[in-house]
Amino acid sequence: MIERQIAIGHRMGLHARAAAKLVQLTRRYKSEILLSRTDLNSGGGNSSEADARSILAILLLAAGHGSTVAVRATGADEAEAVDCICEYLKG
Amino acid sequence: MSSSERILHGITVSSGAAIGHAVRAFDPLFISLNLRISAEEVAGEVARFRESVEKSSGQLRRMQAQLKRRNAEESSFLIDAHLLILQDRLFVDRIIAKIESDRINAEWAIQQVTDDLCEAYDRLEDDYLRERRGDLDDIVRRLLHNLQSKHMPPIGKLPYDAIIVGRSIPASALFELRSRHIAGLVTETGSSLSHTAIMARSMEIPTVMGVADLPEISSGALLVVDGGEGIVIVSPSAETLARYGEIATQAKISRRLAAAAASRPCATEDGVRIYLGANINFSEEIQAAAECHSEFIGLYRTEFDFFREGSRHDEKSLTADYCSVVKAAKAMPVTFRTIDVGTERNTLETMNPSLATRGLRFCLENQDLFRAQLGALLRTSVKGSVRILLPFVSSIDDLDLALAIIADVKKDLSRRKEPYAPDVPIGVMIETPAAAQTCDLMASRVDFLCLGTNDLIQYYLVIDRSDQSTAHLYNPFHPAILRCLNQVHTLLEPGGKPITVCGEMAADPASAAVLLGLGFKSLSVSLGAYPRMRQTMSSMNHGRLRELACEILKMQKPAEIESMVRTSIGLQPSHHP
Repeated sequence: MIERQIAIGHRMGLHARAAAKLVQLTRRYKSEILLSRTDLNSGGGNSSEADARSILAILLLAAGHGSTVAVRATGADEAEAVDCICEYLKG
Repeated sequence: MSSSERILHGITVSSGAAIGHAVRAFDPLFISLNLRISAEEVAGEVARFRESVEKSSGQLRRMQAQLKRRNAEESSFLIDAHLLILQDRLFVDRIIAKIESDRINAEWAIQQVTDDLCEAYDRLEDDYLRERRGDLDDIVRRLLHNLQSKHMPPIGKLPYDAIIVGRSIPASALFELRSRHIAGLVTETGSSLSHTAIMARSMEIPTVMGVADLPEISSGALLVVDGGEGIVIVSPSAETLARYGEIATQAKISRRLAAAAASRPCATEDGVRIYLGANINFSEEIQAAAECHSEFIGLYRTEFDFFREGSRHDEKSLTADYCSVVKAAKAMPVTFRTIDVGTERNTLETMNPSLATRGLRFCLENQDLFRAQLGALLRTSVKGSVRILLPFVSSIDDLDLALAIIADVKKDLSRRKEPYAPDVPIGVMIETPAAAQTCDLMASRVDFLCLGTNDLIQYYLVIDRSDQSTAHLYNPFHPAILRCLNQVHTLLEPGGKPITVCGEMAADPASAAVLLGLGFKSLSVSLGAYPRMRQTMSSMNHGRLRELACEILKMQKPAEIESMVRTSIGLQPSHHP
C-alpha cells in the first residue's frame, strides 16, 4: 500500500471536468485507489474515503483548489498509480 | 388601455429575445410504481436494471459520436460525465444491492440510492458542485424511461416557436432537442452554472432560469423570453409583442440592414452625434456586436464568463481570454466590468443579497481574484482598446482602495516586465444612490463613468425586482429617478468626464428619449435592442427632447410623465395603469 498527500492544483478544484478526467485515468491501473480529504478541520466537505473510480464519490469530496487529499493505492501497480494520480492532481 | 400582461423575473442565463408558445416539459423525475418483488424475481429485476443501464449508455455514446462530428467538445464532455455515472459502482452497484437486499423493483431502488446521493450533494457548500446533482437527475430520468422499455417522450411534434417551460430542463434533453428549433427556455431551478445553461448559451437559445411563478404559465400560452434582461412576459400586450417582434426579427434578419445604416455615424434627426454601444454578457457575443456595427462594447459583464465551468482564474489564463475578446472586437473599444457577484450567488447566506457583499465590495474582499483580473486586463491593454469599469461602487473609500490596488498591480507588472498600457481608462459604475450623489467626487478620481439604471432605480425606489409583490413599482419615469439623472448630469458637466448609460432605460425608445433630453449622449444597450435603438436615434429630435425634459422635470406622476414622453416621440400611449 502506498499513500501520498497532495494539494489540488486545479483552479476550479475537482469539479466535473477534472473529476471525469481523474476517473478515466484510474482505469489504466489495476490497484484499488482511494482518495480522502486531509484538511477538513477548516471547513465543509466530505470526510469519508472516495473510490477514485467513482465520479459521484469524487465530486462529493468537494475538494476545491488548494485543499489537500491523501491518495492511497493498493495493488500490483500501486507505485505507478500514485505517481500518475498525484501528477494529475497537481494541476 | 389595459392588458393582462405580466412580467415574471428570473436570472439571465443566455441572452437574446424570443417570442413563442409555451410547451410544458415533462417532469424529469416522473413518479413510477414502487413494487416489492419475490426472491425468485430478484435476478430478473437486476437483469432488467442492467439492460436499462446498457441502453442508456448506448444512447449517450451515439449522442457523443454525433457531437464529436460537430466538434462540440464542450458538450461532449458533459456526456462523458453522464457515462461515468452509469459506470459508477457507488451508483450502479448500490442500486443492485438494494434490489437484492430489500427485494424492491429497480425504479424504487434507483430512487432510494438517488435520494441518498442528492442529500449528500445538497449538504455541499459549493454552489457549483451542488448544481451537479442536476446531472444525476438527468441520468435517472433516462434510466427510468428506459426501464419502461418505451421511447423517450416524443419531442418531434414541437411547434416551431416552442418555448420549453419546466421545473428543470435536463441538459441531455437539450441534446435530444437540438435538431428541432427551440425558441427559448424557461425553468424554475438551475443557475447560469448548470450544464443546461452552458448548453443553452452554446446553442444560442434565449434562456431565463430561477423563475418562481412557473405554474402561472400554461401550455400554449404566448410568451416573450428576454434572456438578456432575465424576464419572461406572459400574455404580452400587442405593444410588447410589436417591440420584441422587432427585436427578434431585426436581430436575426436585418443585422445587414442595420450595418448599412451603421456606416454613417449615429446621430439624431437634427444632427446631434449620439454614441451607441452594446452590452454583452459572454465573450461569444462580440461577434454579433461586430455584425451590428456597434461602435463600442459599453459593458462586458465579465462575471458570466468568469464563473463559467472550466474557466481558469489565474492572471495568465485570464489574459489569454481577454486578449481573444479584444482581438474579436477589432476596432471596438471594450469596457470590461470587473466581476460583479450579484444576488444570485449570495441568496442562501443573506436575507437581502442585493444589499450585501456584491460588486466592488466582493472584489475588495476577494483580492486574489480581483488582482488576477486586473493584471490580466492591464496586460490585455497592449493588444487592444481596454477600459476597466468598477461595479457597484458605494463609497469614495472603496473607490480609493480599488484605485490603490490597480496602482499596485501595475507596479507588480512592471517588476515582472509584463507590458501594459499605462493610461488604461478606469471608470466607475454609478448605480447606487450613494454613487449618484457623489458622482462628481468619483469622477475626479477616474477617467469615465457608466450609469447603471437598473440597479439605480431599484435602490432609489426601494424595490426588489426579483420580488413579485413590488416588481410592478419599478418605473424609470418616477420623478425621483428623473431628478436623480438630471442631478448626475449636472454634477458631471463641469468636469467633462464622459458618461455612458448602460441600463434598460437606454434600450427603450421612450426612456432613451428622456436620457437624451437630460443631456446624455452615450448609451449602451443589449444586442437584441441595438438595431432598433440605432434606428430610433435617427428619428429623434434632440432640440425637442431638451425642451421635453424641462417639462417633465416639473411633473409629479410617473404615468403622466411616461404618457407625455410617448406622445411627443410619436409612440402609442403606454399600457401602464
